Amino acid sequence: MRTEALAVFLLSVAAAAAPADRAASAVRSAAALSTREGLSARSTLLSAQGTAIVQLAHTYDGYRVLGSHAVAQVLPGGTVRTSTQELLQNVSVAGEPFLKPDAALALAIDRVSPLGTPVGSPTIERIVFPAQLTGGLPEGVFDRRLVVHARPAAPYVWAYQANLELANHRVFSVIVDGNTGQILRNTEIRESFAPIASRGTGLGMYAGAVPVDASQLADGTYALYDTTRGTLPNPWLERFTPDDSGWTPVGMQAWFEAHDSRGKPLGSAFLFQQNPVNDWGDGQPFTAWSNENGQNGQTAGVDALYGTAAAWDFFKIIFGRDGFDGRGTTAVAAVLQTGPLLADNAFFSPFLNVIFLGAGSYPGNPDGLASVTDLEIVAHEWVHAITFGNQLISSDESEEGGIVEGTCDFFSQIIEAWAAGPRTAVIPDTGTDWLVGKGITHGGFLRSLVKPSRNPRVPDGWYGGIAPLEPHSKGGPIGRALYFLAQGASGNPADESYSPFLPQGMAGIGNDAAARIWYKAVVEHLFGDLNGKNSFADARAAGIAASLELYPDDPAKTVAVENAFAAVNVGDAHGAPPHTLVLFADFRDGDWINRAHDFYSNRQVLPRNETVAPRITVLNNANTAVTWSLGGLSLWNGANQFTTSGGVINPDGTWTTPNESSWHAITATSVADPKQFAEGRAFLINIDMDTDLEQDAIDMGGIAVSWFLGAALNPAHSVFTAPFVDDTDVAYFVDAYRSTWPAK
Amino acid sequence: MSRTVLLAAALVACGKAPEAPPTPPAALATGLDYQDPASSGWRLVRDPASTKARLLLNLVGPAGLKTRGVGFNLKAPPALHFIYFDETGFPIRDLGVYDLKNSAPRAGPDPLEPVLLAGAVQKENKLTVGIFQKDRRVTAKDSGAPVLQIALELAAAAQAHVGDDLTPVVAKSKLLPDDIGAFDAGGTLEMVAKGHLSDFTLAVGALHAN
Repeated sequence: MRTEALAVFLLSVAAAAAPADRAASAVRSAAALSTREGLSARSTLLSAQGTAIVQLAHTYDGYRVLGSHAVAQVLPGGTVRTSTQELLQNVSVAGEPFLKPDAALALAIDRVSPLGTPVGSPTIERIVFPAQLTGGLPEGVFDRRLVVHARPAAPYVWAYQANLELANHRVFSVIVDGNTGQILRNTEIRESFAPIASRGTGLGMYAGAVPVDASQLADGTYALYDTTRGTLPNPWLERFTPDDSGWTPVGMQAWFEAHDSRGKPLGSAFLFQQNPVNDWGDGQPFTAWSNENGQNGQTAGVDALYGTAAAWDFFKIIFGRDGFDGRGTTAVAAVLQTGPLLADNAFFSPFLNVIFLGAGSYPGNPDGLASVTDLEIVAHEWVHAITFGNQLISSDESEEGGIVEGTCDFFSQIIEAWAAGPRTAVIPDTGTDWLVGKGITHGGFLRSLVKPSRNPRVPDGWYGGIAPLEPHSKGGPIGRALYFLAQGASGNPADESYSPFLPQGMAGIGNDAAARIWYKAVVEHLFGDLNGKNSFADARAAGIAASLELYPDDPAKTVAVENAFAAVNVGDAHGAPPHTLVLFADFRDGDWINRAHDFYSNRQVLPRNETVAPRITVLNNANTAVTWSLGGLSLWNGANQFTTSGGVINPDGTWTTPNESSWHAITATSVADPKQFAEGRAFLINIDMDTDLEQDAIDMGGIAVSWFLGAALNPAHSVFTAPFVDDTDVAYFVDAYRSTWPAK
Repeated sequence: MSRTVLLAAALVACGKAPEAPPTPPAALATGLDYQDPASSGWRLVRDPASTKARLLLNLVGPAGLKTRGVGFNLKAPPALHFIYFDETGFPIRDLGVYDLKNSAPRAGPDPLEPVLLAGAVQKENKLTVGIFQKDRRVTAKDSGAPVLQIALELAAAAQAHVGDDLTPVVAKSKLLPDDIGAFDAGGTLEMVAKGHLSDFTLAVGALHAN
């Protein structure tokens, strides 16, 4: 038996050796090696298709040439394909090495021993070293000084390669010059080292005393670096080059923006690190400019990491979602951001997978925010990762922005409730006050989900023309609908949770069911493509679809979705007839403006300084009469800063426009149902091209004179009084005529 | 002599002149009657397709005069109703003399391309119409043929009588001449100097209710 087994083994070796020989022969022929050079099979793999893949090490006088190798594929039919791109040419080394192997090994051990105690049996191998490979880890890495390894004068030298393992599990490969004893290259085999996860304690300004999932790095210090959350590298962190501390771009972490002593940003960012103990933060507002890494600065890092981890765990435990993108890509919280747009702000960068959190300008600025690192703010930003994952955007000019922000507000409260509880697989119904931003506003709040209009900038319900509102404000109705879904709406007009759109009120289905429905709705039914096309009606439909899928045997939940959205004027209550709708509808029917400037599809172009009758559409009511008013909510809370109001509404309902070319807001309210109104946009244009104070069709001659010239002969020839005239002027002039003087 | 005396005596006896028979009131009009003006210059000429109910007037210019567009304003009595054409949505119809489109569109012909053709009936029953070539690279056109058309009807509520004079009054009329400066995409001082509309006299025939 033993003899037979040995025979089979020998046959296998013989079969494997044959392709290696053929591979070496083929490469030798292709590469024109000298008589002192050789090829040694490093490995041979047999593919499922029977192809042998042979890696060949390059040798010189039988010694391996570092970094020089070839690959050959030996096909089943005997054909050999070679790849010699990595095979170094013209290798030649003079004489013999002066150093003996033991001496070289001693030098290598001496070099790495400051990094740990060598253990085990180090190996030493004589090699040919190409001078071009000089380098590797700088020496003295712990003080971050860069030391350049001396490069040999000859292109190839004799050297020794020592492989050493240290007691701290770090492994190094050190190349020692065989003649001079110089260290030519020092490479850490990083796969063998990882930071040690270590739970510390933190004192946040908002979170209070909390455990912190930190890490101990190679030098024994600690960092706000959580290796337990995140398995793929973070795109922003990949811009930073790892040193030998053990840090990598994988694992949730808190970074800070560095500043000078006056708070001016220095344009650099760092990990919270080099803490000799695993205790973080002092729980106090940040004041220690230029010492952000110190205990006071760490406070923002503690809050941020605490919030980011809580949101991460919430989505992992409740929905099985692994991080921002569901694939485990590392999340980063970057705190102490400053600058006019960042200090009192927070935002999620979808391309960097980083949550940037402002330092807050309060109390220096009495109207500013405190450190923008409260859990609910971090959670709000975290949820942006989910909405952006479906290409949904917080845009200025679409209802989709409201869907996104309302969703983020809702989950910020849900996560707050979950984090305050036992953090189980069920979301508790208590644990949040449904006020967004209470912590950072020193006694106030930013938005209420129960009654959004507590902030006068935020509407309680949808209305036609809500899209131009600032996204967080137009998210009010969405957040309120989701609150109603979870917690119910009152039938008592005196209550904050009462809605005139659903005067009978409704019962909530609880935080857990509401969150599950809405997560499914957003992730599985609301898809965008960065153009902001989704409407509140789409959101309602997504919620209904998700409810039907999640709870097919519980129709009451779907009814609750219908009613919750009806309570914010999106759709009708279950079984109710269609309610009155006031709309600035798309009246263009695919004309040139529709095609060229889709933005104007439901916006009207009207002449300035003229009496006009704006278009409006009233549906589901026989009484289509409206009352007009100038302006609208977006005027003082819109993302579009270039809209105004002006002119006079005449007793007959017409509008005498002001002599001002700009966007104007106008509002139409249903006479039959004053709860229903719409805010629209009209652009007032110049149609007096010959400036004779008479707006007649002869003015088109002015457009003709300047049409498509590099520079208009007269700005008055442009409907925008701009220095350029083209088909836009033609189309808008004609459109203004159609709207202002229609056939009767 | 004696006859004269007798007549005088009769007048004295009666104390007043004899009453004329009452003039019957004119009948309510149901249409329009238009007589073309005698001018050979710019004029509004009745289109043969007109009916009694709808009067179609074509704008015709002097033969041989090349222009790039034209527009005018007419003020009409309330009894006249200017009609909007379905195909344009305006009270003006293009009769095909002018080239209204871009002569070199980058993406080829575009059926939706906006053109300079518009009109309106503004307050006090003022009609304003215009048609212009927007592309100055296009040559000016001989205006001796009908270049545009307007339409009029008797306003239903006007209660006009046969014979009422409804002739509209020309309030303004301007044309874009052939020479508006040699084309230069960058604009030139010559283009600035010449890039203006010119007044012209528009003759309107007699228009009566009928």
